[in-house]
Amino acid sequence: MSPTYARADVESDRVVTALSGEGWVLEGPHRHERTVLDTFDGRLHRAGLRLEHRAGRGRSALVLQADDGGPPAVLVVESVPRWPHELPSGPFRTRIATVTDDRALLPVLSVRSTLRNLTRLDARAVPLVDVEVHDGLSVDGQEDGPPVPWLAEIVARPGHDGAAEQAAALLEGMDLRCLGADVMTVLAGTVGASLHGHDTTPRVELEASEEALVGYRRVLRNLAGTIEATIPGVLTDVDAEFLHDLRVAVRRTRSVLAEGKAVLPPAVRAPFRDLFRRLGHTTGPARDLDVYLLGWGRYTAPVSDATPAALDRVRAELEVRRQEAHEALTTILRSPHTREGLDEWRRWLEGPDTPTGGPLLGPVVTERIAHAQRTVLTDGRAIGPDSPAEHLHELRKEAKRLRYLLECFASLFPSKAHRAFVAQLKELQDNLGEHQDAEVHLAYLRELAQDLHHRANVDTDTLLAMGRLTHHIDRRRRQERRAFVERFAGYDTKGNAKSLRRLLEAGAG
Amino acid sequence: MQALATYSVKGGVGKTTTAVNLAFEAGRTGVRVLVWDLDPQGAATFLLRARPKLRGGSRKLVGRKGALEPHIRSTDLDGVHVVPADLSLRHLDLHLQRAQHPSRALRDLLAPVHDRYDLVMLDCPPSISLASESVIATVDGLLVPVVPAPLASRTLAQVARLLRDQSDPPSLLPILSMVERRRKVHRELVEELTAAWPQLLPTSVPSAAVVERMGIDRSPVGAIAPRSEVALAYRTLWTDVAHTLWPAG
Repeated sequence: MSPTYARADVESDRVVTALSGEGWVLEGPHRHERTVLDTFDGRLHRAGLRLEHRAGRGRSALVLQADDGGPPAVLVVESVPRWPHELPSGPFRTRIATVTDDRALLPVLSVRSTLRNLTRLDARAVPLVDVEVHDGLSVDGQEDGPPVPWLAEIVARPGHDGAAEQAAALLEGMDLRCLGADVMTVLAGTVGASLHGHDTTPRVELEASEEALVGYRRVLRNLAGTIEATIPGVLTDVDAEFLHDLRVAVRRTRSVLAEGKAVLPPAVRAPFRDLFRRLGHTTGPARDLDVYLLGWGRYTAPVSDATPAALDRVRAELEVRRQEAHEALTTILRSPHTREGLDEWRRWLEGPDTPTGGPLLGPVVTERIAHAQRTVLTDGRAIGPDSPAEHLHELRKEAKRLRYLLECFASLFPSKAHRAFVAQLKELQDNLGEHQDAEVHLAYLRELAQDLHHRANVDTDTLLAMGRLTHHIDRRRRQERRAFVERFAGYDTKGNAKSLRRLLEAGAG
Repeated sequence: MQALATYSVKGGVGKTTTAVNLAFEAGRTGVRVLVWDLDPQGAATFLLRARPKLRGGSRKLVGRKGALEPHIRSTDLDGVHVVPADLSLRHLDLHLQRAQHPSRALRDLLAPVHDRYDLVMLDCPPSISLASESVIATVDGLLVPVVPAPLASRTLAQVARLLRDQSDPPSLLPILSMVERRRKVHRELVEELTAAWPQLLPTSVPSAAVVERMGIDRSPVGAIAPRSEVALAYRTLWTDVAHTLWPAG
């Protein structure tokens, strides 16, 4: 960690003069800009990586630093990339791409300053340590600027820990205050920005013995925060995961509302269930097409050798439809009806938690989870070889509802047992999800083939390729369908039932 | 982490020049590089402006887990760290002999820093010794600079023979170094070597006065004269090498 120092009532020149007087080599001043880049959900931060774009003295470079003692990797770039694939191939790109996956890189915190760099050299001109003095600090999006006039950061060099310690002693000798972290972390703290990204997993501290309404509202507030944070990314189509996160937050909200009959006031629950049902349905077509296009390579790999070009037409058509679906979605998200509905929802969530003498959270949540589990087991056991696909889809929705309840109220339960049960449920969901995706893709392909044929707008090769692709997806669908029997049996076990019973006993309080 | 070594049984062929310039080029393309100077003369240490000091000497380095890390030093080059050399490395063979698995000794020393670097570049002294066997057992590629000279092919053949004795040998990556295109004899020898050694990397490094300035400025040619012919050659050479290391990257 590079510690940062400051003192409000002292000019930065005093530091520069003092270090120069000790023989440190001064470079600058020059204008300098640093921008921390990360995905919306802070994947690089979670992986222990810091990616910064630094510009100054005619150079524009990306700096990737891990907290492992290795050197910062530096890559000169002409512009700030939105996607790792915009970077040249090699380890730098790979290290970022393997962490960010399908998420875009976004500016998290952008800082401008006038930088003076001081380097201490030994007798052989070997550099031992640097102190960077940042003056005239300004943070993008903050009109007033940070509440510190300047900052000095010690940049240690490997193998010269003693020199870094001596630099710290020098600065402390000038009565500068050590702020601990590096300049960007310090500034993020002073302007209330987060370098951690938005955590879309609902993490809400709950007590089984608190009133259920209070706990429900806290969970719903957390979910509303995710909904509000993801909508701008959906509107500007930054990356497909914004829509995914929005959709999951809406579904979680719907699940909590659905299971809140005994808790939430009917005058609140009914209209907002309606609002979120509509929102949920609105996001469906665009997300289905996102999934199709994101997985295009995987879906078409088994047939692409024979028909690479013929499927280009299909992909282009899907992209057009995706664009249309996104435009329809953004129209609805921007509509006064949706905006006012979400504003009203926020107002209710921010209202006072007045005690109503209602039921306690632990018993209510565990009862609803037990009920959701019973529904999953009843529906799943009723599915036979001839059951229509809709039954599996319904089971998938019930399993999701159960999962969302477990996740939204996770802090009520012992974490290890909770994780183990959710992992079992996820196994079942993966199978149901793959099956449903195949169903949706087949329906799209059939509909698309009919449409293209109807418009007399398709060549034979494309139709044949679509036929081959349909055959392949149908085979995958049937495989998943066959696998369901075993997957459900693996979930519907006495051991699993016992685990859930114990989990719920612990969560009831 | 990928590992390369600049190696030759012959001295004065440009091993250190290659190691330092390729490390510079790798560093400026976002690669995290550790240059490990194994030559007691410490030329790479000097060029990278590090102090030529291995605290405790090479005796304390070999066979001790985690012993490499305290010797790692930063450099002025983007993304490049160095393990400096000092004269104690002249006894490296002796210390390796005492190690339990001499051929694995260098690889074991690198293991704890494996995730911190994308590339380690070992700069070797000109010899055939236990240390060079340990280097060969450690690296993925052996960069062998060859100067167009009548004995160049023989030198390469010696290295190739050395590699043939290994169970999992590194790739042999010969580099034409100090080429003077104006000289007919060089042009002819380059042609001969290219025909005899298909492994030769496509980019050759020309002989240039700017290389001598490296020792004065203690900087790679890419920093001293970034637009010079030799700097461009190292840039292209690094691209060739990077493609062999990360072909799908």
